Amino acid sequence: MESKAGTTETRSNITASDGDQVAALESLQFTDEFHRLILAPPSDNATSLAALLELPASRALELLHSPASAKLIAAPAPSFEALKGNFLFPSNTSLIDQAARSSVFAGGVNNTNNKSNAPETTSNNSTLNLEKAVKSEPAETESSQPLVSDPAVEKRNFKRKDREKKAKGSTKKSKTAVNDSSDGPEKLPYVHVRARRGEATDSHSLAERARREKINARMKLLQELVPGCNKISGTALVLDEIINHVQSLQNQVEFLSMRLAAVNPRTDFNLNSIFTTESGSLPDSNFPSMVMPLIWPGVQVNGNKQQHQQQWQFDARQQPVWGREVCNNYITPENSLLSYDSSVNSVAELELFSSNGQWTTNKQRCMPIKLKMEL
Amino acid sequence: MRSPFSLKQEFLKKWILGLQRCRSSKKNMSIFERKKVIKLSADVAMASARKGTTCWSRALIADAVKEGNADKHLAEKILGPASERQPTKKVPVGAMAYNKRIRSKKILKRSSVIRRTIKCAPQAARPSSIVKTLVGKRRQILRSLIPGGEFMNGVSLIEETLDYIISLRAQVDVMRSLASASKLVNLN
Repeated sequence: MESKAGTTETRSNITASDGDQVAALESLQFTDEFHRLILAPPSDNATSLAALLELPASRALELLHSPASAKLIAAPAPSFEALKGNFLFPSNTSLIDQAARSSVFAGGVNNTNNKSNAPETTSNNSTLNLEKAVKSEPAETESSQPLVSDPAVEKRNFKRKDREKKAKGSTKKSKTAVNDSSDGPEKLPYVHVRARRGEATDSHSLAERARREKINARMKLLQELVPGCNKISGTALVLDEIINHVQSLQNQVEFLSMRLAAVNPRTDFNLNSIFTTESGSLPDSNFPSMVMPLIWPGVQVNGNKQQHQQQWQFDARQQPVWGREVCNNYITPENSLLSYDSSVNSVAELELFSSNGQWTTNKQRCMPIKLKMEL
Repeated sequence: MRSPFSLKQEFLKKWILGLQRCRSSKKNMSIFERKKVIKLSADVAMASARKGTTCWSRALIADAVKEGNADKHLAEKILGPASERQPTKKVPVGAMAYNKRIRSKKILKRSSVIRRTIKCAPQAARPSSIVKTLVGKRRQILRSLIPGGEFMNGVSLIEETLDYIISLRAQVDVMRSLASASKLVNLN
């Protein structure tokens, strides 16, 4: 068992000296395992705990990808079965010490590397998980080894908690803030916020701080949304950019609506031309046929009007890019605008918005379009 | 999250629906009337695409159909018969009360600030207060830009701006592609 203890020690050192992510991953794995362990039968506590603590980083990564963690619990168990009676007592304490130390190391590593924003959330998660992990450890050890392990583990727990408290508790604060901002739409009834060191602790300033954090988070989102705001620092300038952006968008809407109003419909527009150009200019609009069919209230294209049949050149010009329904229906935006301008005679005869629509034989070769919206 | 593509789809659908509805009997419309109709139907379509979840959409529709508005009948036509209008989730009465509260707060603040500036002028030289006034002025401008912005406080203002910018972008994209499509059609 000493060899195994030695290997675990080296392994735990390796995990401590590895990067944050590995420790975080491992701690994440620990929480899952501990949850399962708590639910597992109590007789397996010692062996599975020891098995867990033996986890090298690579194994933890493996666990991440494969959900077969029960396999892990089962696999080392037979190896421990033989040693259960004799070596349980010392092995557990040493392994528990290793676990506590590794968690302390991981906590320390995370706390010292807590300067930048990016790993902050991961480190917050890992500290959270490590807290959970360490807390579940004493729970399990209490069940299995009430005598020896508890004081040692609890001592370490207290040490670690004090260290975390004394360190700039901004981790906890921002963790709750992150939770708060992410749970915004869910409307948490209470916001559990821990006061930072050296700041007022009355409820007003706490609430004020939480509110400010929320506003700052939203401002960051806005900064990402508005182009060119990422490099600007300072709320006033960012707000300037946002105002400019909104104003420019509103002006664009005005301008475009004017432009659309000025569309001068021509007599013979060809569906073919629309489709060939549309594939370039409308990247987003594979107008699926279920959306567009609503628009067609009925096109009065009678068989006796030959010019219309020329215009609707459906059968010959079916583009494979767009379904047939789309071919028929995309015409409508232009047609609706066409109806506004009465100067064009032949097009105006189309009477697009007539209530009774009849289909010519040409058209009926296309698939019939179901009108989804009643007008 | 609402995908931008489905937003555009829904906007286009509602817009064309609105255009059809307000196609008046007279065929001779001046270009300005047309533009007005197009813009109004586009705005209303954009607002109704949000289905009453955001404040600015409700404010926009409420503005369109309020009593003193010249194009009220047009907006009502676009929105369709009252039975089809989607019910808003929040009661607008609460917004009015909130507005009154904000206004009364502002009056109080303004009076206190005046008193303060009369008494001690160098207070304004503090950087934090300068920043606050700068940011506050810009917030005021933002409130005037966004429909229904006067009712919003800090956090909701920013959320509404986010949503409004996204919707405006979708609207501009659809309109631009439509305009270019029609232009290309007319060229041939």
